[in-house]
Amino acid sequence: MIDNLDRDARRAPAVRGAGVIDDLHRGARQVPAVRGAGVVDDLDRGARRVLAANWRQCATVPAAALYPHQWSWDSAFIAIGLRHLSPARAQRELESLLGAQWRDGRVPHIVFDPHVRADAYFPGPAFWRSGAVPGAPGVPTSGIVQPPAHALAAWSTYLTDPATARARGFLPRIYPRLVRWHRYLTTRRDLTGSGLMSVVHPWESGMDNSPAWDSPLSRVIPVPATAFTRRDLNHGVAAERPTDEDYGRYVRLARDYRDAGYADSLQVHGFAVEDPLCNALLAAGEHALASMAAELGRDPQPHLAAAARLTAALVSTLYDPAAGMFFPRDAHTSHLIRTYSVGGLAPLVVPDLPVAAELVRTALSDRFRLHEACPLPSYDLTAADHDPGRYWRGPGWINTSWLFWHGLRLHGETALADDLRRRLLDRVRTAGFREYLDPLTGAGHGASDFSWTAALTLDLLRAA
Amino acid sequence: MIRISCQEQLLPGETLQKKFEFARRAGYDAIELRGHGGFAFRDRLGELRRAARDGVPMPSVCVDMRHFFGAFDPELRRDAVAQLKSQLSVIAEVGGPGAVACTPASWGMFSRRLPPFEPPRSEEQDRAVLLDGLAELGEHAAREGATLVLEPLNRYEDHMVNRLEQAVDLIGAVGLPSLKVLADTYHMNIEEDEPTSALVKAAAHLGHVQVSDSNRFQPGAGHLDWAALLGTLDAIGYDGHLALECRLRGEPAAAVAAVPGFLRRHDVSVPA
Repeated sequence: MIDNLDRDARRAPAVRGAGVIDDLHRGARQVPAVRGAGVVDDLDRGARRVLAANWRQCATVPAAALYPHQWSWDSAFIAIGLRHLSPARAQRELESLLGAQWRDGRVPHIVFDPHVRADAYFPGPAFWRSGAVPGAPGVPTSGIVQPPAHALAAWSTYLTDPATARARGFLPRIYPRLVRWHRYLTTRRDLTGSGLMSVVHPWESGMDNSPAWDSPLSRVIPVPATAFTRRDLNHGVAAERPTDEDYGRYVRLARDYRDAGYADSLQVHGFAVEDPLCNALLAAGEHALASMAAELGRDPQPHLAAAARLTAALVSTLYDPAAGMFFPRDAHTSHLIRTYSVGGLAPLVVPDLPVAAELVRTALSDRFRLHEACPLPSYDLTAADHDPGRYWRGPGWINTSWLFWHGLRLHGETALADDLRRRLLDRVRTAGFREYLDPLTGAGHGASDFSWTAALTLDLLRAA
Repeated sequence: MIRISCQEQLLPGETLQKKFEFARRAGYDAIELRGHGGFAFRDRLGELRRAARDGVPMPSVCVDMRHFFGAFDPELRRDAVAQLKSQLSVIAEVGGPGAVACTPASWGMFSRRLPPFEPPRSEEQDRAVLLDGLAELGEHAAREGATLVLEPLNRYEDHMVNRLEQAVDLIGAVGLPSLKVLADTYHMNIEEDEPTSALVKAAAHLGHVQVSDSNRFQPGAGHLDWAALLGTLDAIGYDGHLALECRLRGEPAAAVAAVPGFLRRHDVSVPA
């Protein structure tokens, strides 16, 4: 013990002079900036806290409880924000996903974490049985895919910190894998010869439960609900999740695909749709691959040609000039599915899209109300079956809104882009980093501390 | 904006005033003192008061002894507690409000990874000893207006407290706000499944941070992801110092001087 301390002196700041001194005496540490699922005081810090908490050694889980593995297009959107926290982590995010690529080039929609309980998510590794497929990777994965946002994400990630990327050999390793991924989609998944890729399961579209899939899905005979145990309902509100009957159809499609050894043909796939969102990302991704090729001293021309082909096919096959909208096309019937979903606005991400102005007009119409509704509704606000709380049947997601924001900037709609950006940030500030939101009230739904909401919020903040 | 301090023995200069002159020029904000045993730290009080009067910020002291409050030997335990209490009193005076004294549970006493593998004391007894010591030190810290921070060390240096969650558990059991956790990036790199998520989980109890790279050399000499670490510390609202405690690779003065620039380059936070 020290007996001769001057007690009064101890209460007064002991140090004076330097400009840093006052900081020394700042009081208690602040605890994280996020208060539960409610108001976020400091979006930037809150977003980084979510990304730090959801990081698992080599990738980010979309949400800690509901989605405890690595998801394909989540990782792409996560990388777009994670690059602002750690460029090296954003690169790892994409490398670890592409590291689970199959020999045929497909990038699985889930890469399972073997350390997570096998029954934590259905359908899990025991359902997909990737280990039994020649050419599947050593780590267990699903056998279906998700929208190809990865080339776009990889190029953004590279541009954030080229020095770190070069030191880690990021582009030389990721580029050939992305090329093989796109080749799988443009060859094996071109089921009609139109030059467009098909999704063969609603989950492949990313917009799992969209009303756009109701008609092609109605032909699929569901497996009985007793044949599987859903895990999504342990965490989510049943009224916001797909019905058991739809889930039975999802299981049927996935089981048939698996039992055919994941072969791709119209004979195998009871469900096959040429989807505007996926094909738009593919075209935009070819532009990104062209930039990567040029950076690596290779010929960008094949990618630019592929982008031009995809763009032309997208417009000639899926665009309806009278509607000013892209629609999905049922690969079995060759008919357009005329439902207005946010995926039909996604082609705005394609550089040189000849109908960009028309798409913006449609977004401003009563169906999507770009000026007020936020995030951009997943489905037609004027439709009788619009449901603002139910998974992909009305609510808005940050990622599709981010894509549209990106497209607005690409096509010179700066004022609309800035306005959308501001309102998206306001929504997240009020609701927290939720999985999806009611586009009219802003009420949050689904998982909390959702990784791509946090990541894209960070990207929107840094875009100021 | 991160604040960086440097342990005194790493800085060139014969006096704390000279050391801080060097440190400030290099971009440091403060000095972390080292507290030797035998009440040597208390005996420096005159020197420390003069330095404080001359404007040298010294917000923390890191214990520098061969025995600690978790020692097997009761005599050594008693002495370690007496030394730490004295160090808390001194740093409370010269460090100002928010002053911090650092200690591990033990260092170099036993490792379950090295022969003879089984320590002479059970885990329950370890825990009882640590809780007793922390309670006494935490009460003293509260009386002095300072904070005692418990530092988890890697498995080869301490067999009792290796991860942040273990430290959080112990100080939570004592329940005094004058007890907090010290996160050292080098030890975390060995022990934590994922250092950044561990920081998020320990956020409410984090009281101090020491920095060195994966190889115990200065930040930048190893392979830690500093952007992720610093971005996370800022995100969880940590506003204390990052204290440099490391070995030096290269010419010592140049190595020390390069650290603030390196860390600030990797500080991805944006000004509020």
